Amino acid sequence: MTDGDGHQDDHGHGHIHLEYQPALPLNNGKLCMWLFLSTEIMFFAALIGTYIVIRFGAPVWPTPEEMHLSEPVGAFNTFVLICSSVTIVLALEAAKSSQVSRARLYIIITFLLGSLFLGVKAYEYRSKFSHGIYPQLPRSLMYEKPDVYYAAAVHKSLLTAQEELTGKVQALEADEEQEVPAVMQQRLSTVTALTTGLARWTEEEAAFGNTEAIVQLASLVNPVQGKGPQETPLRAEKEAIEVRLKDLEGQQKQLLAEQTALQQKVDDETANEDDATRLETVAAELLIIPEQISLASSRVKALNFLLNPGASSELMGLNERFSKDEETGEKLARPWLILPIMIPGANMWAATYFLMTGFHAIHVLVGLIIFALAIPMTLDRSREVFLENSGLYWHFVDLVWIFLFPLLYLF
Amino acid sequence: MSENQSNHEGGPQGHDSHDHEDHGGFTTYMFVFGGLIVLTIISFWIGNSDLKNQSPVAAWAGMMAVSCGKAMLVILFFMHLKWEANWKYVLTIPAMMMSIFLVVMLVPDVGMRTLRYSEERIIHAAESTLHIDEHGGEHDEDNDHSEDAAH
Repeated sequence: MTDGDGHQDDHGHGHIHLEYQPALPLNNGKLCMWLFLSTEIMFFAALIGTYIVIRFGAPVWPTPEEMHLSEPVGAFNTFVLICSSVTIVLALEAAKSSQVSRARLYIIITFLLGSLFLGVKAYEYRSKFSHGIYPQLPRSLMYEKPDVYYAAAVHKSLLTAQEELTGKVQALEADEEQEVPAVMQQRLSTVTALTTGLARWTEEEAAFGNTEAIVQLASLVNPVQGKGPQETPLRAEKEAIEVRLKDLEGQQKQLLAEQTALQQKVDDETANEDDATRLETVAAELLIIPEQISLASSRVKALNFLLNPGASSELMGLNERFSKDEETGEKLARPWLILPIMIPGANMWAATYFLMTGFHAIHVLVGLIIFALAIPMTLDRSREVFLENSGLYWHFVDLVWIFLFPLLYLF
Repeated sequence: MSENQSNHEGGPQGHDSHDHEDHGGFTTYMFVFGGLIVLTIISFWIGNSDLKNQSPVAAWAGMMAVSCGKAMLVILFFMHLKWEANWKYVLTIPAMMMSIFLVVMLVPDVGMRTLRYSEERIIHAAESTLHIDEHGGEHDEDNDHSEDAAH
């Protein structure tokens, strides 16, 4: 009897040789790898598809420049991954012809290129975090609208910084052996001036209907599209407030004089009803004026800080100034203060960006582990299947990045 | 069932390795590499060009077409699918259909969510920052300090 191809019936003499007939003309490992890859295609299709739908259905979406995304860096990463795709396929070619050392060299190059990709990704992530761009609240410092919640968040942030610095300064002052560094004193006075002159000033303005003040606050903290604050309007405001400050102080003197005069009348019992009411009014106004004076003078201090960039020659947004050394102008390792920023649509941007690139980075890491395991192996013909399947996985990782790069960086 | 031990060339009846010898090769891969680089440059150029301002949809369509081109190069040549048998269609076509369906099915739901936003949602929704550039230099006109009289 014959069952299909190759079945040799031994007529009972002991040895029956059965031949396996694969349903598909490829080995198990390759089939399983392709099945896995089609599930991975569905996985990334889910992530990328929802990004597409969320982005194009969003009321507003930030540009790559606003989110500190550098296209050349993304293009460099694309180039690195394309090169690593080429080297893994060349490693496979070398293994097929049993050129073991050549194959190992190509695997090592692929591994290094993949690590370079991850290193550049880490650098990109760090630059996001240092601007306050995190995938999730509460660490994320991004607000979507220039409303009272944003102004309150900036105020709270400045108050917290003020308390921290005050605590540190007081601790150093109490300790007689240590001195308070000049930088710390300077920062404390800056934060104090900004808390009242910038945050509280803006909140008061907004409370009286001037919501443009919050928009101005947002652009002072994080200027739109990298342009620093504009000098002319700030100078004009400063002059206007200095004039107002003089008026207030004059008013205060006048009211004090009036109060003394009226009080004298009351004491002499020559006051009438009008004088009494007037005395009350004057007293009430005198209660408010010191507050207004201090607010206005804080505003002048804050504007002075904004208009004097120190080591730099151009005006910068506040967050950018806090990331640079006050004297030398060099970039600090970490900014000493990051205020909340206002970028419409930014939180959804961050959520989708970090999700997609994060999952992709995990897949790259898995690929690197596979290559690390492959490096000590003897990559001859017998390992061809393993190498081919590792290559398939790595090409898939490259494929995902081929779609991610334009979607995230160029769109 | 040990036919995938690599002493055999892909299986007792497998014939993949025989064909592999003639396919691919250093020159082909170098051409594909060159093609990928050229396509990347093209998509980078489209993304930074004026087309994005004039007709963003055309720019996006162009960049997606370039991406699909690069994907086809990688899939056909690097992943060797150009020379594989018909099983490649069984694996790739359903996956592609699913990807497209997923996006299309989400459009009327998540993609058009702003059409059914409640009043409160609209109030708190983000707005474009374009108006900041217009008003950024005009704030001083509004310094109407009416606090002294009112309260």
